[in-house]
Amino acid sequence: MTRPIPPVVASRSGIPLKASYGPDDVPESLRQHAHALPGEAPFHRGGFPQGYRTKPWRIFQLSGFGKPEDENERIKFLLKHGETGFLMEHDRNTADHLYNVDHPDVQARREDVGQTGAVMQSVREVAICLDGIPIESTYGHAGGAVVQHAPFALAAYWTVARRRGIPLEQLGGTGQSDFFLTYLGCVTKQQIPTAAGLRLNADIIEFCSRHAPKWVPVSIAGYNGGDTGLNAWQELGAVIANAIEYLDEVQRRGHLDMATAAYRVGGVNFRTTMDFFEDIAKLRAARKLWHDLLRERYGITDERALRLRIHIVTAGSMMTYTQPFNNIVRGTMMALSAVLGGTQSLGVSGYDEAISIPSEHAHQMSVRIQQILQHETNIGAVTDPLGGSYYVEALTAEMAERASGFAAEIAAHGGFLATLDSGWLHARARDNQVAWMAAEEEGRQKVVGVTDFREDHTPFEVDGFPGVNDAYDVAKARLDDVRRERHEAGAHAALKALERACRGTDNIMPRMLDALEAEVTLGEIGDLYRSVWGDWQTPELA
Amino acid sequence: MNDPNPRRILLAKTSLDGHWRGLSVVARALRDGGFHVIMGGMLTGQEIVRAAVDEDVDLVGLNVGGHVEVVVRVIGELRSARPDLPIFAGGVLPPSSCRRLGELGVETYPPGSSLEDIVTAARRLTGQTLG
Repeated sequence: MTRPIPPVVASRSGIPLKASYGPDDVPESLRQHAHALPGEAPFHRGGFPQGYRTKPWRIFQLSGFGKPEDENERIKFLLKHGETGFLMEHDRNTADHLYNVDHPDVQARREDVGQTGAVMQSVREVAICLDGIPIESTYGHAGGAVVQHAPFALAAYWTVARRRGIPLEQLGGTGQSDFFLTYLGCVTKQQIPTAAGLRLNADIIEFCSRHAPKWVPVSIAGYNGGDTGLNAWQELGAVIANAIEYLDEVQRRGHLDMATAAYRVGGVNFRTTMDFFEDIAKLRAARKLWHDLLRERYGITDERALRLRIHIVTAGSMMTYTQPFNNIVRGTMMALSAVLGGTQSLGVSGYDEAISIPSEHAHQMSVRIQQILQHETNIGAVTDPLGGSYYVEALTAEMAERASGFAAEIAAHGGFLATLDSGWLHARARDNQVAWMAAEEEGRQKVVGVTDFREDHTPFEVDGFPGVNDAYDVAKARLDDVRRERHEAGAHAALKALERACRGTDNIMPRMLDALEAEVTLGEIGDLYRSVWGDWQTPELA
Repeated sequence: MNDPNPRRILLAKTSLDGHWRGLSVVARALRDGGFHVIMGGMLTGQEIVRAAVDEDVDLVGLNVGGHVEVVVRVIGELRSARPDLPIFAGGVLPPSSCRRLGELGVETYPPGSSLEDIVTAARRLTGQTLG
């Protein structure tokens, strides 16, 4: 029994679609760039002329659970199977909140500890997580996706590198430090206000520009906005608005030249979803808007800065709980969309995404999907293969126009951070959450295995990945060890010095490095931040 | 819809994972279904008990984003304080967790559940409809 299939007449973000497209559908805004090749401004066709011929996209999967040694084992497993960069997740309970495991809110949920990443409260645990992983030659994500956690996570990773004799100048990697994640999508119980977060990110951008030239200091993650409910052009528009917030702040501080700053900020993230062409258009439009923004608002002409680099994660929210093996197909389609859009790196969500963090098998499948696309299909041979398609060019122009409009709307509401503080951006996401669910419930949006083609009984139950059950106890014992064994006066002095930096205007990163060297713990840094900056007033979410 | 004395539902998160998209959609559907919804946020078992008693709710909805044993403990604490209070749960719940909660008499609504089913369950659990 299936219901009649309504004709698709609009994209998922509501852009009306014609049955076919011709030359007159491409507006002047893009037609004037019709002869631009990949590697030529405004770069909608790609930042680099040789595309994947000279640099295949990075296979870059989110990973982490359990104890640091469990996470270490999984990272090595992924690298062995062909991952070309690695992401090191920290436990959400502790890391996102800057709590040690003996914080009452964590203790009350001790079984949750380690479910979404390893607990890392001091450099010791980060060292265990990175044991035997060649960070001098492998691009790593140090954790610190959450703004208030980023300085700690980066400094801990860099401290491990320094102890191995790897100069920071030669270390490649990133840490994200993204506002969309915990100020919009996955809101923490406690976190520092957005203004304090902006200051931390500006500190990281400036510190990396001087001392860690290969490090991507922050990475605006539109994904987290998109999977919360922003549609494709809202996601792109909000990313642009976020970039403006960072670049204006760097400009106001006046320590960095803007081309350098823009290059540092120009590695961003989006999601691809199950609207294949819309997301390809989003990536093409993103590169053009980035180029236009830098030239027009900041007068930047350095081509290195003008070329936006993109990381894609396929939308976890598109992965279904029922009939989970269907998600292998969804992951493949979303990955293909990312590649045809010209992404520089890619993570494919696990087929068990709606059930748990990825099992080893689901993780391996995500890598295999990417390898099959990379090695068997020949799609990397030609850059921007859809360039010149009337439809794709028209959709790219429409996407750019709508995203610019949304960025302007955010500016009119006080700017990106103001729309987080006021809840305006949350309201936009909420409207879509409700509308998208209604479309599924009313039969306008089919989801195979969910709204239609359901089965009463599945012969292939996937129960997800259970993780381990000793993460809390081990983390608690290690915390006690650090407290007992560290030089207490040294830790205290380092924490005081960090506090002075937080209360003043000096860059906090040198003091954060000192603090971690002195074995100051995550929870102590959290307590310090909370005493200096207080808590963000979370807007009404639902 | 215009019930002057609507049934009251507390929605609370058992974990410190703040994803709110699913909860928001469910809360909207329950409000549209005529319920008074109290958003509890991230609460410990004891805090959920206190909120349920203070707000005099007819039903507790647990939004799960972590380990099932945390949820089991919360259910135990709620049952000790208010044995008659119905509980249902949604969120990231693997099939084995659904079975575990089912054995405790707690209905589960994992991803892919329809809002209509959730609202219907809420009506039944608060005694507005039979069976």
